[in-house]
Amino acid sequence: MAQASMGNGTGGASSNRPGGAGQIGAVRSASAKSKDVRLANVSAAKAVADAIRTSLGPRGMDKMIQGARGDVLITNDGATILEKMRVEHPAAKMLVNLAQAQDVEAGDGTTTVVVLCGALLAASQRLLSMGIHATTISDAFQRASDKALEVIESMAVPVNLMDRAALIKAATTALSSKVVSQYASLLAPIAVDAVLRVAPPAALATAADAAAQTATAGADSRAASSVDLSNVRIIKKLGGTLEDTQLLPGLALTQRPVQTAGGPTRMTHARVALIQFCLSAPKTDIDNTVVVQDYASIDRVLREERQYTMQMCKRIKATGCNVLLVQKSILRDATNDLSLHFLAKMKIMVIRDVERDEVAFICKTLGCVPIAGLDTFTADKMAKVEVVEEVPLGGGDDKVVVFHSGTGAPLRTNSGDVTASATGVDGGAESGATTPTATAGPAAPSLPNHAARGDTVTVLVRGSNVLVLDEAERSLHDALCVARSLVRKRSIVPGGGAVEIEVSVRLGEYAASLPGTAAYCVRAYAEALETVPYTLAENAGLGPIQIVTELRRRHVQGERNTGISAKRSGAVADMLAEHVLQPTLVSTSAFSLATEAARMILKIDDIVMTR
Amino acid sequence: MSTKLLPQVLKPDASEEKGENARLSLFMGALAVTDLLKTTLGPRGMDKILLSASGDVTVTNDGATILKALQIDNPAAKLLVSMSLVQDDEIGDGTTSVCCLAGELLREAELLLDKRLHPQIVISGYRAACQEALRALEAAAVDHSADQQRFRDELRNIARTTLSSKLLAQARERFADIALEAVLRLRGSINLDHIKIIKKPGGSLHDSYLAEGFILEKRFGIGQPKRVEQARILIANTPMDTDKIKIYGARVRTDSVLRLAEIEQAEQQKMMDKCRRIVAHHCNVFVNRQLIYNRPEQYFTEQGVNSVEHADFDGVERLALVTGGEVVSTFDDPERVRLGRCALVEETMIGDDTMLHFSGCARGEACTIVLRGANQQLLDEAERSLHDALCVLSQTVNEKRMVLGAGCAETLMANAVEAVAEKTPGKAALAAEAYARALRALPGMIADNAGLDATDLVSKLRAAHAGGFVTAGLDIERGEVVDVGALGITESFKLKAHMVSSATEGAEMILRVDDVVKAPPRPRERDHPHM
Repeated sequence: MAQASMGNGTGGASSNRPGGAGQIGAVRSASAKSKDVRLANVSAAKAVADAIRTSLGPRGMDKMIQGARGDVLITNDGATILEKMRVEHPAAKMLVNLAQAQDVEAGDGTTTVVVLCGALLAASQRLLSMGIHATTISDAFQRASDKALEVIESMAVPVNLMDRAALIKAATTALSSKVVSQYASLLAPIAVDAVLRVAPPAALATAADAAAQTATAGADSRAASSVDLSNVRIIKKLGGTLEDTQLLPGLALTQRPVQTAGGPTRMTHARVALIQFCLSAPKTDIDNTVVVQDYASIDRVLREERQYTMQMCKRIKATGCNVLLVQKSILRDATNDLSLHFLAKMKIMVIRDVERDEVAFICKTLGCVPIAGLDTFTADKMAKVEVVEEVPLGGGDDKVVVFHSGTGAPLRTNSGDVTASATGVDGGAESGATTPTATAGPAAPSLPNHAARGDTVTVLVRGSNVLVLDEAERSLHDALCVARSLVRKRSIVPGGGAVEIEVSVRLGEYAASLPGTAAYCVRAYAEALETVPYTLAENAGLGPIQIVTELRRRHVQGERNTGISAKRSGAVADMLAEHVLQPTLVSTSAFSLATEAARMILKIDDIVMTR
Repeated sequence: MSTKLLPQVLKPDASEEKGENARLSLFMGALAVTDLLKTTLGPRGMDKILLSASGDVTVTNDGATILKALQIDNPAAKLLVSMSLVQDDEIGDGTTSVCCLAGELLREAELLLDKRLHPQIVISGYRAACQEALRALEAAAVDHSADQQRFRDELRNIARTTLSSKLLAQARERFADIALEAVLRLRGSINLDHIKIIKKPGGSLHDSYLAEGFILEKRFGIGQPKRVEQARILIANTPMDTDKIKIYGARVRTDSVLRLAEIEQAEQQKMMDKCRRIVAHHCNVFVNRQLIYNRPEQYFTEQGVNSVEHADFDGVERLALVTGGEVVSTFDDPERVRLGRCALVEETMIGDDTMLHFSGCARGEACTIVLRGANQQLLDEAERSLHDALCVLSQTVNEKRMVLGAGCAETLMANAVEAVAEKTPGKAALAAEAYARALRALPGMIADNAGLDATDLVSKLRAAHAGGFVTAGLDIERGEVVDVGALGITESFKLKAHMVSSATEGAEMILRVDDVVKAPPRPRERDHPHM
């Protein structure tokens, strides 16, 4: 009975082969196919993991990626590499998605998660070849992952948000593997300060409470612990070096003030208005033509246009506005020569080409309200800023417009006496750290809406070429995410492969306590985890086998925080003492996401082509 | 040579298959589809990658999704596909089972036809067997609705059973709770539109949650408060740039710039009038399907109305549904427009994105399930699985009877059919026996997929049922025959009944065919101007 009903292949359909022989053949071919598909998937995914394996860790190498149009990108960021690789194989694509998910969730550890997933798949390949069923492996991996998360939680050291130094250490670890790693000591404080400034007061309040009574540390709600990174604006300006990168409280714009008609570029006691209408000749939504009948009317039309523009400018002047930000318009000219000329005459500073997606940030920062029409242009919609000025960056022609309260220098320039204290990397970090605290106090009263609306910050990134600039932005994003994940989940774990080894050792013990096939699979999972420290050591040019065995030995002896230190000795050391730290969220999310993805790939037994 | 004597009835390109050949090609097609699907059956079933021509990847275990995506040229296979899709529409789950059962019925029928049974006899045998199977199923079905707590537990079990064969299996406890709560909120309605599913990559499946109310993936306009209590929501689909004169070539002709400025002013005035009429509805939240431009947005801000622009179509429809409002596009008659209402609208953050959360909606059924997961494929599959579970649960809330899963119901029916077959004289008895074998093939496939000895387990199961142990079923984890009632593997009666009857009908329909005529393909016209 069962034999007949169990027949697998399409061969059973042919009426002249009803018996067992044909069906057994079909069964074999079907299962052979699913095995092939699975192996192909695993191999494809492993190939992706191998491709970015070498960029793991502080001594990891960078990849140069040439785009279809010949554009070049140099990066160490796993998510970016994978995104640009344009992989074709469906299983490989899943790994790309995995890296992106880690990027969204934790912002860092994108390479780790892919390497981890590749290692798990390699382990499962061995298990499959022993004849263990894919779902058995998959279930065992899930158990292992649950256990791993427990181990990570047990390793976690709670961190206080008031403890800026600890946060900076974590951000430094995230940056240490990047192209810009030599500037980690500069960028890390910037990232931490930026996040702390934009963190909602509720989140920091809980932090303060937690400092007072450690028991309530875990009682942060979902809302209070999220940080909106859109409040941190990163602007890139070519030129200078990364050392000139700095954190600005409030707003800086890369758009230049219009100087065609000799308008002002510095304004004290500025009253800033952001307008969303156009200062040019009228244009209706319906197509229009102005019909000129005779010679005399040419003059009239010109005069009228002049008069019309003049009227608009006069009304703007009448409100007391002296700095005008003009939103970009695609349908018509946002400004024309005539209006710029009038505004310059009226000593109104004009900044054009403000993008629509910048409007929200600008409004939030300055506390102004966008003005959509001339008739609604009232004084209360404007923001008061002490000083708006165009400041030269470095020695070159590059300039940015900064909005500040006038007390204390908002911008560190290399031309001037400030330079002396800000040349060294350490000095840079120091002044980057003091700038926001110095200006935060005095700035608050002069911008009434500022504090109430929550803080925003701008990070000005400088770099000698576009590639460095872009990579710096990506690295800074990672560091920001690290700082944010610390706000979300306030604990850190040692880096340098310490987590992976510790989990591996504990899972090995756990496997010994399990019955049946699951134990075998969990052990394989544990062994696969060693790939991460192995690769770290390999990339650092150390003997991976010695290092990993030494690490394992130390962890078995209970030195739980031992990891690979690429910093100085290039050997194993206590990661907490070495200040190599990473947020717990990065590790936990890497483990759970990698396991989820590996299980998903394991469960696939066929690829079906569709429309 | 003999064909020469026949007149040409069909067009030259048309083809015809007759008798044995026709049947053979139909069987081949149906079995090919069945074989493709059957590895996805059961808790240890495998997934498929669906790779589209454009390179999009879908990973799924859902029969309906696989079948929808297949490119099929075989009439019988198409029939099975449409049968499964009907099951998907009606019940939402069991799409794979229905296809597999129909396939097995055909496989058995083929053996009978080899033994020179007439297809009609097979069909009548199948019909009688089907009725007997349904009778047995109905007798075994239990209704726990009298005991609220028990009913709830059983519903949860059904959700767990549905989810256990899916990717969500690892988080099935959580998702069973989510699905159950969402369905109970519906209070008997089967309109799943009240449940919105939002997918956000990141986090793990365990981070998914059920939120009361409705979440729209948008934010408020610039400078508007982040929170509105006692919201009166006007939902609209209207252009906010300008109400253009829709005559081709309409244009303004003036002889002076000032006139032009006046007309521009008039245009803007017209738009502001529209805004004023919108505000006259006494709404404090205005959600528009289309863009709201700077000027209207500013006006709304001034008037204390929060505006949301460019909401997605689906979002607008659902928002109208859950808040009890209606989608309007003219604003002349404020009295007659129904505004949506909810207690609170506020911006919340999910993952990296800020969204609008409408809570305390007029229709209490409304809820939103936020799915988190490693990647888009996982989320898509999670959505499909959850949708299946929601469908089954909402059906079960109305048709409250339940049966046991894990091969228990199938074996029960098979044994009942066999018992009748023993008493049936004539060739129809053979067909009934074949029917029983086909039913029993389903637990066989489940065991097979799990890498267990299917033949052994199925015969043990059969023996257990014959011995009066009517709650016996397969424990896939341990590979044993156990009491599934204790394991809590429950399925909806409606699902099973529908599966049996529609699979039988489908098989019957294919069996009746003895001639396949293919119409000539429509000739492609060359050099067509529009091609």
